[in-house]
Amino acid sequence: MTVTTMTATGRKPLATPSAVLPCALRATLLALLLAAAGAAAAQGNAKQGEYLAEAGGCVGCHTDSKEGAVPFAGGRALKTPFGTFYGPNITPDPQAGIGRWSEADFVRAMRNGVRPDGANLFPAFPYPSFTKISDKDLSDLWAYLRTLPPSGRVSREHDLGLFFRWRPLLTVWKWMFFKPGEFVPDAKATAEVNRGAYLTQALGHCGECHTPRNFLGAPIQSRYLAGGKGPEGKTVPNLTPAHLKKLSDGELQDFLTLGVTADGDVPAEAMGEVIRNTTSKLLPADLKALIAYLRALAPIAGD
Amino acid sequence: MKVKNVLIALTAVAFGAGASLALAQAKPEVLVKQRQAAMTLQGKYFGPLAAMAQGKAPFNAAVVARNAGFLEALSHMPWDGFDASTKDAKSEALPLVFSDTAKFKQASENLQAAVVKLVAASKGGDEAATKAAIGGVGKTCGGCHDDFRHKS
Repeated sequence: MTVTTMTATGRKPLATPSAVLPCALRATLLALLLAAAGAAAAQGNAKQGEYLAEAGGCVGCHTDSKEGAVPFAGGRALKTPFGTFYGPNITPDPQAGIGRWSEADFVRAMRNGVRPDGANLFPAFPYPSFTKISDKDLSDLWAYLRTLPPSGRVSREHDLGLFFRWRPLLTVWKWMFFKPGEFVPDAKATAEVNRGAYLTQALGHCGECHTPRNFLGAPIQSRYLAGGKGPEGKTVPNLTPAHLKKLSDGELQDFLTLGVTADGDVPAEAMGEVIRNTTSKLLPADLKALIAYLRALAPIAGD
Repeated sequence: MKVKNVLIALTAVAFGAGASLALAQAKPEVLVKQRQAAMTLQGKYFGPLAAMAQGKAPFNAAVVARNAGFLEALSHMPWDGFDASTKDAKSEALPLVFSDTAKFKQASENLQAAVVKLVAASKGGDEAATKAAIGGVGKTCGGCHDDFRHKS
């Protein structure tokens, strides 16, 4: 990861006691800093990052469900058995958002589930999936997030059960259930299936809803994508061929693009939103790859 | 005499029919079938609009206006089929339909309101607004399915 080196420069000079420096010098320093920050931001491709953010559905949890809410400024409630999580503001506002984060901070949050101050992030933020995102894609995502207009909307504290709010406990949870590391392609699978696997497992984090969880809230890997109770307690369909075989590729493509089945049936809004934000925006080749991957899964019975 | 008998017979028939109308309580399975039929038809007339809203099918204002009109009537039809007597009948309705009737009613009214908006938009000649209104209808369908339907 090349990013670690450049972020040190991004932060430390801010702590320099600027009062002793003459004004002009300060301005020059500031300009240099901004240039450095600009150069750092230019490392990733923001345009590609925008597409990746769609493929990741970031806007869903990081935007309030109220009409007219500012995208990425946080507020969405996720009601789980452990309490209610509120998606935080991830716009570049220095106070309300993540404006003070460095790219290395972002990479660490996504890959290791750790905040810049070292505290554990709750896995309601799906870093067990995002950890698989490639270095290149993380860099592009970061570049895109830096282009968002900063919003001063203050993030709401999570409202969690007494025992669940204690972040150090998550160290144990992570030790038991979390395996950090980039996506590793399956050498036996085609490039298309691997691309679909990457989109599904890493960016799309489909398993966060479509894989049932144990009583500690960890996905049951033997039932990966086999459906059951979703994180909010609602029934979520099985995506393995055991269930999905009743739809043709064309029907699945239409469903994931239009948000209706051929007979006009509309899915639950939980998926309707995912279709609007993510699957309908995937490039045709990516959507095709995603379907190819689902087809290649081992069938697991049950819904 | 004959006339009188006929009159009596006719009156009896009329009463009989009236009584059967007043007493008629369709069986739970029938109510389920009927409300599902209303849902099916909503799907039939909404599906093509969703395709137009997404640009998958060419936008056809006349079809939108016609289907919106159909949907306006259909959006009122399923709900009396969710009679308490159907609670245990086999269907995709979740128990919450019968335990949180206020929320369920609200969800049905959300749909009706969204369809009214679509009808108005479809008469306004603004394609973008009409497409947005179609999206609004889709959201209310899904919003209700979120809590009240288990799709098997």
